[in-house]
Amino acid sequence: MNKEKISSQEIIDLVATKASVSKRAAEEFLKVMITTIEEALMAGDVVKIKGFGTFKLQWNEPRKSVNVQTGEEMVLDGYHKVAFAPETTLKDLVNEPFAHLEAVQLDGENESVSPIKPDEVALDPLRIFTEQVTEIKDLLSEIQALSTKPQFVVESELTGLVEDVDLPVSVEFELQDDEDEIEDVDILQREPEVLAIDESIQIVSSFDENIVQENKSIGIQKNEDKVYLEFGSATVLDSEVVLDETQLLLDEIKSVYSNSDEQTELVSSVEPSLEQNEDVELESTPYLVGAKPMHRMNKWILASIILFVLIGGSAGLYLFYPPVTEFGRSAVEKSAYEISYFKNIAIPNAFATVKGWFTSDSIKKGRSVGAVVPKIAKKSVLVKVPVDTLKLLLDGPRVYEEYIATEQIDKSSKLTTMSEHYYGSKDFWVYIYEANIERIENPDVIQVGTLIRIPKLDSRLIDASNPRCVQKAQELHDKYVKKITL
Amino acid sequence: MNHKELIASMAAKMNAPKSVVAELLETTVGTCTELLGEGKTIGFQSFGNFEVRKKEERLSVHPSTQIRTLIPPKLVVNFKQSNIIKDKLKDLPHHE
Repeated sequence: MNKEKISSQEIIDLVATKASVSKRAAEEFLKVMITTIEEALMAGDVVKIKGFGTFKLQWNEPRKSVNVQTGEEMVLDGYHKVAFAPETTLKDLVNEPFAHLEAVQLDGENESVSPIKPDEVALDPLRIFTEQVTEIKDLLSEIQALSTKPQFVVESELTGLVEDVDLPVSVEFELQDDEDEIEDVDILQREPEVLAIDESIQIVSSFDENIVQENKSIGIQKNEDKVYLEFGSATVLDSEVVLDETQLLLDEIKSVYSNSDEQTELVSSVEPSLEQNEDVELESTPYLVGAKPMHRMNKWILASIILFVLIGGSAGLYLFYPPVTEFGRSAVEKSAYEISYFKNIAIPNAFATVKGWFTSDSIKKGRSVGAVVPKIAKKSVLVKVPVDTLKLLLDGPRVYEEYIATEQIDKSSKLTTMSEHYYGSKDFWVYIYEANIERIENPDVIQVGTLIRIPKLDSRLIDASNPRCVQKAQELHDKYVKKITL
Repeated sequence: MNHKELIASMAAKMNAPKSVVAELLETTVGTCTELLGEGKTIGFQSFGNFEVRKKEERLSVHPSTQIRTLIPPKLVVNFKQSNIIKDKLKDLPHHE
């Protein structure tokens, strides 16, 4: 931040030139202004100036303090203080460089309710994930070595599951087309799965008990027919081998269901078939998991869901942040982009690193930096171009060849006002300064009569609504101001 | 005392028409805001300093919901009274 201090004399000079009055008049005016404000404050009044802010008198209570050297207690007297509250217009104007930043809520509403530390929340699931992934890998390799049907297992592992879940649902829909409770059924249908995820470790190893538990969860439902249908679908969830069998069963149930008055018949027909189911299950387990107990199966399901989610997630990530040309480069860029997004202060460094990648291309091209961009865009497969163009524009050296106007400096002219006039924002005065750097020693004090050429700039470079452009201009501003003050 | 009253009282002191005073006040305020907008410090000898300060980014926690929010950095105008006016104010009795 520029800490240059401007005295009241300079203010007087500026006011005198702007309002085209004599300096003496301006000085008198300023004095009167200050004394008037003072007097009003002394009288206990509040002074409000339009477009600026409010002055108010504030009483600071006497307070106790300790003398650091002697350790003695002492009382500091209370005192009056002139407090100044800026108006919103002034606040906004001053805060312009940071106006694009917004408060970010770090916690979701769910997490915030629980008092668990966020670190633990983030770490624990991750650890479980990795553990399970390794477990799956081990299992898969084991199966591939032993199994007679390795292909089938892998399939059911990766994709089969989702289809499995969907299939019984569709059967249900067919069955209960006329009923209103379809949605309820659907929800209940998923319940066992959720349960399996949550309590995978606790779910007991034997198939029977597994069913009992599911029975419990479904038991809320009153319609018995549906309960049995659920059974059918639940078993399907457990193994692909059973799938065909169960489908048959479901068909059977369906046929029975059509004349659903005979409930007893339905129950009896389903019950044996369930036993049959169990048998098939037991048969199928040897070449599925070898000697592993049943709870492994549940873990499998859980693990495969996780695997699926992971694959889907990484695919999504890939889509959203495609690699640009080389893997390394994209990584650097991405990180740079992220850093810049979160911490404005970090931008210069980030730019510096990225700049390193591009300099060889862009330095020679100079003004026609834009031409470099399509080349790179061709190489890259996907749509990260806009970001790169801007970066190139911002980082590339600026060469001023074309000019849109020439201005002669007079007493009141300033680079910032010119910038506002030609580019729409005061921030971009630095570019005018750069274009005329050999004529201007100090941008704050330009010789009257100097001819200033206004360079033609790429419209993307002077986009005042883009915080990155403003940021860049601010950086340049700081750089030049520093150079001058040194 | 609002804007109009200030202008009126100043006009009376300066023996100048209100319109002139209003114009001058406007340019003064305009100049000051512009300078502050550029991040400069303005010092009025007998009154105090107007300064632009940067408030760093911070983490705020909502006391009841525990939601943490990252408040971005911002620039604010700060006014610090000069010692001259502080001394003058010392004579002022404290009423409250």
